[in-house]
Amino acid sequence: MKAASHVFTKEPYVENVGPRRIKSIHFSMFSASEIGNVAEVQVYKGVYYDGTRKPLEGGLLDPRMGPANKSCRCSTCHGDFKDCPGHYGYLTLALPVYNVGFLDKILEVLKSLCKSCSRILLDEESRRKELEKIRHPKRDALNKAELAKKTVSKCKPGRCAHCGYINGTVKKAIGAISYIHDRSKTSDRSLEECKSAISHTKESKGSLSVASNIINPRDVLSLFERMSDEDCELLNIADRPEKFMITTIAVPPIAIRPSVMMEGSQSNENDITERLKRIIQVNASLQQELQDMKNMAAWDHLQAEVGLYINSDVRGVPYPFQVAKPLAGFIQRLKGKQGRFRGNLSGKRVEYTGRTVISPDPNLKITEVAIPIQMARILTYPERVNQYNIEKLRQCVRNGPYKYPGARMIRYPDGEMRLLMGSFRKRLADELGFGVIVDRHLEDGDVVLFNRQPSLHRMSIMCHRARVMPWRTLRFNESVCNPYNADFDGDEMNMHVPQTEEARAEALMLMGVQNNLCTPKNGEILVASTQDFLTSSFLITRKDIFYDRAAFSLICSYMGDGMDLIDLPTPAIIKPIELWTGKQIFSVLLRPNARMRVFVNLTLKEKNYSKPKNASERELETMCPNDGFVYFRNSELISGQLGKATLGNGNKDGLYSILLRDYNAHAAASCMNRLAKLSARWIGNHGFSIGIDDVQPDIDLNERKRETILNGYNSCDEKIELYNKGKLHLQPGCDAAQTLEAVITGILNQIRNETGQVCMKKLHWRNSPLIMSQCGSKGSPINISQMIACVGQQSVGGRRAPDGFIDRSLPHFPRQSKTPAAKGFVANSFYSGLTATEFFFHTMGGREGLVDTAVKTADTGYMSRRLIKALEDLSIHYDNTVRNASGCIVQFLYGDDGMDPALMEGKNGFPLNFDRLFMKVKATCPSREHKYLSPVEISALIEQKLPESESTSDGGLSDASKAFKKSVKAFLLEEHEKGSEIIMKFGEDATVESQETVIRVAQKIGGITEGQLRAFIDTCMSRYHLKRIEAGSAIGAIGAQSIGEPGTQMTLKTFHFAGVASMNVTLGVPRIKEIINGAKKILTPIITAELDRDDNVNIARMVKARIDKTVLGQIAKSIKTVMTSRLGSIVITLDMNRIEDSQLCIDANTVRESIMQTPKIKPKQLQINVLDVTKLEVVPLVDRGKLHFELHSLKNMLPNVIVKGIKTVERAVVNKGKEKYKDKEGKVKEREKYSLVVEGTGLQEVMGTEGVDGRKTKSNHIIEIQQTLGIEAARWCIIEEIQFIMSNHGMSIDIRHMMLLADLMTFRGEVLGITRFGIQKMDKSVLMLASFEKTSDHLFHASASGKADKIEGVSECIIMGVPMQLGTGILKVIQRDEKPELTYASDPILSAY
Amino acid sequence: MADDDYNEVDMGYEDEPPEPELEEGVEEDVENANHEDVPDALDGEEKEEETVERPRKTSKFMTKYERARILGTRALQISMNAPVMVELEGETDPLEIAMKELRERKIPFTIRRYLPDGSYEDWGVDELIVEDSWKRQVGGD
Repeated sequence: MKAASHVFTKEPYVENVGPRRIKSIHFSMFSASEIGNVAEVQVYKGVYYDGTRKPLEGGLLDPRMGPANKSCRCSTCHGDFKDCPGHYGYLTLALPVYNVGFLDKILEVLKSLCKSCSRILLDEESRRKELEKIRHPKRDALNKAELAKKTVSKCKPGRCAHCGYINGTVKKAIGAISYIHDRSKTSDRSLEECKSAISHTKESKGSLSVASNIINPRDVLSLFERMSDEDCELLNIADRPEKFMITTIAVPPIAIRPSVMMEGSQSNENDITERLKRIIQVNASLQQELQDMKNMAAWDHLQAEVGLYINSDVRGVPYPFQVAKPLAGFIQRLKGKQGRFRGNLSGKRVEYTGRTVISPDPNLKITEVAIPIQMARILTYPERVNQYNIEKLRQCVRNGPYKYPGARMIRYPDGEMRLLMGSFRKRLADELGFGVIVDRHLEDGDVVLFNRQPSLHRMSIMCHRARVMPWRTLRFNESVCNPYNADFDGDEMNMHVPQTEEARAEALMLMGVQNNLCTPKNGEILVASTQDFLTSSFLITRKDIFYDRAAFSLICSYMGDGMDLIDLPTPAIIKPIELWTGKQIFSVLLRPNARMRVFVNLTLKEKNYSKPKNASERELETMCPNDGFVYFRNSELISGQLGKATLGNGNKDGLYSILLRDYNAHAAASCMNRLAKLSARWIGNHGFSIGIDDVQPDIDLNERKRETILNGYNSCDEKIELYNKGKLHLQPGCDAAQTLEAVITGILNQIRNETGQVCMKKLHWRNSPLIMSQCGSKGSPINISQMIACVGQQSVGGRRAPDGFIDRSLPHFPRQSKTPAAKGFVANSFYSGLTATEFFFHTMGGREGLVDTAVKTADTGYMSRRLIKALEDLSIHYDNTVRNASGCIVQFLYGDDGMDPALMEGKNGFPLNFDRLFMKVKATCPSREHKYLSPVEISALIEQKLPESESTSDGGLSDASKAFKKSVKAFLLEEHEKGSEIIMKFGEDATVESQETVIRVAQKIGGITEGQLRAFIDTCMSRYHLKRIEAGSAIGAIGAQSIGEPGTQMTLKTFHFAGVASMNVTLGVPRIKEIINGAKKILTPIITAELDRDDNVNIARMVKARIDKTVLGQIAKSIKTVMTSRLGSIVITLDMNRIEDSQLCIDANTVRESIMQTPKIKPKQLQINVLDVTKLEVVPLVDRGKLHFELHSLKNMLPNVIVKGIKTVERAVVNKGKEKYKDKEGKVKEREKYSLVVEGTGLQEVMGTEGVDGRKTKSNHIIEIQQTLGIEAARWCIIEEIQFIMSNHGMSIDIRHMMLLADLMTFRGEVLGITRFGIQKMDKSVLMLASFEKTSDHLFHASASGKADKIEGVSECIIMGVPMQLGTGILKVIQRDEKPELTYASDPILSAY
Repeated sequence: MADDDYNEVDMGYEDEPPEPELEEGVEEDVENANHEDVPDALDGEEKEEETVERPRKTSKFMTKYERARILGTRALQISMNAPVMVELEGETDPLEIAMKELRERKIPFTIRRYLPDGSYEDWGVDELIVEDSWKRQVGGD
């Protein structure tokens, strides 16, 4: 204090900036001297304790490195076991050894160095050039590494340009951690001399080779020490290369390698400690050998031990040094799923969590979760005492930890903590003051996060409000099962309690169930009614359900808890008694009272809607006999029996979606709540169950079934007979067996379908399974018919049951039998029971399914992980660009229009569903007395409301909104046209006197008022603006989940016909993997080629012939050997008829050319003479002795010479398709259209083939597309291919996700796979890469090249435990403190007033 | 009752021609008025920081992340006995109070939006249009 120049009377105010934030990490290596500086103690004793079991000084548990156990104190910092951070020691090795992490790097350096003068093996000029290149300011780290690799490859062994020493090749030694310098191939005279000199000595042994000698680490070290800094730069070594060698080991603090105390005086030392001990021992013996001038065998041993210390799986450890007991090295600590990076840094254990079995409770709101009291007593929330909650918290404190609403702990502002276990609780409660934190029990309304594994998408963890309830399960509304993919067959779920006010707010705002009703995958609703809720809605809304006042009121009261205000609607039937329909219940459910301003308008076709049989028939709509057309008008259910399409999930036009879009999440959620309560209670009274009589077929059905099966069997037998006779008419591209299979499969499927249809028709309408399948709550028609009528064909691997025995599937059948029963057709139903063979076939099919799911989960899990790791840090920035963590732009505008996929209402990711909105506007703004607009007025109004150019700049979004405006305009004009057509039609039919009324009616249908039009346009525009993606969205992670999650649902059904029979394309998970990996070689490459003239089969065949591979053997009449006395030759005669038949342009000359271009048969040694158009002679130019063999082999090879077509093409097929076109009168007609489907690669050649329209030719091989058409084409190909797979599996994914993935894969200018190789190139940080795969490699590489990483990516932020720069972290909140206005003049004594 | 939240929505079921939402127009004025003030205030505080002289470009809608962050920060303040800026009607949950404050635009915060080039824009909470999920409208009104 005396020395201080300033003496503060008060503590100066120092703003608490919080914990320091790590901005960047710099990777580097420690040199021996740096280790020495850091270390506190030299370690040289290979013993831990002295006789009194005290840690020995200079040993591995030296107290100066930290306390070895709880009883000791650190002698450096005098901290105890808990406080001492630990201190380093050092251990000097007698001789240097290699660091096994840098083995590859050392090899690289050795390869490019002169082993005599340690200069780089480049001449001066190229050295300069390379240096210039690598010093270019635009090079980033990735680029530099690549360049350095190239430089290494440029350094060829040979004479050194500086000193003239002759260098050999350097290789890693096998079976040892060392390098071999092999000079045998680049020898000069001196070597010869040396050799001869050695050969004269006595000791020379045969095995001793002078040329290849092992370089010892000491020499390497001295080479490295002499290396110039510039050369280091060339090889991308940031630091000195001698740091690749170990001369001193830093002995880590004891805190890092704690010893475990066993009972008694035993202790168990850490693996690292054990390793160090061995190093010390070997080091000591090496020291001894050095003094004794022995052969230093211990050096290798030391190298091995140091290697194992770093990486216990290091390769090249000599066998005798390997230990039986595996001791983990440092790399093993970091590596793998349980390693430090993935196990402890990227994923952290948390407190305040719970887990139990889940069960359903329809009485809870969808936003709630019931938490057992037992859990609520353990989980706590730290609530700060303020004026509003002091009384509540006092009571909690009084109750203590064991009585429910209690508290476990009190934390005082000064840091003191008190557990509330004793009798002093009452006093503490009374003394409770503001600012004290009370860890109180969980109470109703608290925010909790709820989660079920596997967490495949963000809806797998959502925020609920707690409801503390008795019993022991976690309960929630069944409507929320879907996002979690939960059922109640014993599933368990986890919950977490956010511990700060900020965390609660964010959880509630961003993860709340209400805010996640829709999936961002495609904007479909995910939280929706399921199962029983659907069944009861279906039953309630039957046409023939009527309720009297009492019953109707009762049902209405089910909806709430009898607390809601309900206005009874006008009864549907008034006389003789008032009756309400079941449909009116839904009107009440949507809009319980007149104060509730919810007006739902929707039309929808349920599953059982009777569609018009052909195009000419009129749509029945509300007159559907099955009552399948749901029509809500202004919240009144007018027609339709409600089922899954209206109330269920996976729909964009369902009731809840519309409530959500037109009103808000709350409207949708409360509707769901009401329906859940209503249906659970209603169905409890009504009763709904399934029994054996539900699946009993009647006699008639059995008869019909027997008939169909008999017919089917007969036709199968016919086909089999035809096949046996060889008379089966072949299908294109199939052989006889394949055709038979295809035909029989078709017939058998027909049987199943037919019986199924009959059975569905015959069922009583009250049949429970039928009801369930009709409303979509559970089961499909197939399930029902399998129970009642016929189980059908069992398939294994997409075919009928394979032959497990010789020529038959089971020994119950004759050999070669192809009958339905012998190949796994199950004619029985589950009710009638399966025969033994049928049962066995059924299990075969069943097992395939089980194996599939087991295999799939692992596959898709890894795929999801890779996707997430690649995409995790893509986010939207405030300028609407999509960028990665380092700020590199991946997309200028997300998805090309900046829309949020979760909010898309229309099909195919279009923002709005105009038709629906238009209907709604017309319904909600009735015309009343307003005038309908004339066409002129309409177009004028549209122009006025939607001006072409918008003056306000909206950050690059104007283009997108322009396109949207255009679509609004187009829709309105079309709608207007339709409307005027209707008015016209009505006008034609009208008589003079009825004219006015008719027109009025017509206008009501087709016209539009000004108010309606304005409202429509305004809503469109304002909603459009709200649907834009928000800055901060972690759109990468969402995209990765949206693509990864559907993968898990894909059945591993891998093949699919590509339009043509027998031409398969890979589908499902394997294909997605191919695309995402950016595979160079794909399973089924297919090129679809459009033709210049696509209306003629013959032309198509001609083009096909040009592409298809034709070999000489196919078109040659004969290939003969001709031997004369003077020379031998082969004469080929072409079959011109055949050539002309297949429209090939081949003659002897072209064949000669093709032979010349086949390198395999060495055309240079051949003389080919064309004898005439159809004949040619091949003469091998070899000496006579070999002639015979030569001719023989030529004769074998010549038939395989490709004379026409593209080598890489497997085959080509003409595909017949149909195309709709408009003829001159504007009528839609169909015509046949031919195209080619080419199996194989060679896009460029196919495109270049005459007759192929190259502009329309596509391939499914992404890498090939990139090579022939460029990166943009490859991007589009990725998008289209993923879309193709997904649509084939009946899944819709917003195209924006695919775009993002494709953009990420192509934004570097080459196609990068989402694999460890591709991800490396996407400028990711070291920590992210290390937490992905190959942890140690990335860390060693980073330290060798001296990488400096900023902490900006998601992975890095998680590892460092700091908030990341996306979502709520993208902005900063600043307190606005209004400064009081200070007047500097003195207050006037007398103011003017 | 919770359902009441959206009862307040005035749907204008009657056939009035839709009025342009008044609130937005008002906001625009406020925004313009405040626009000049904000940089001034900054100038006074720290000169070395990049001040935003150019017109602000980012969206005038508050993102859900901004909303969550603001509510979280404000709720924390309120839970620590910060003075509440609105009249309370029996609410005690800090988050609920914060929501009410936001609804009445009384939260004394400025949002600093960082652009990728390192510059930033300052927006007052009261300048931003809150897409309030408790009050969304549909066509025809």
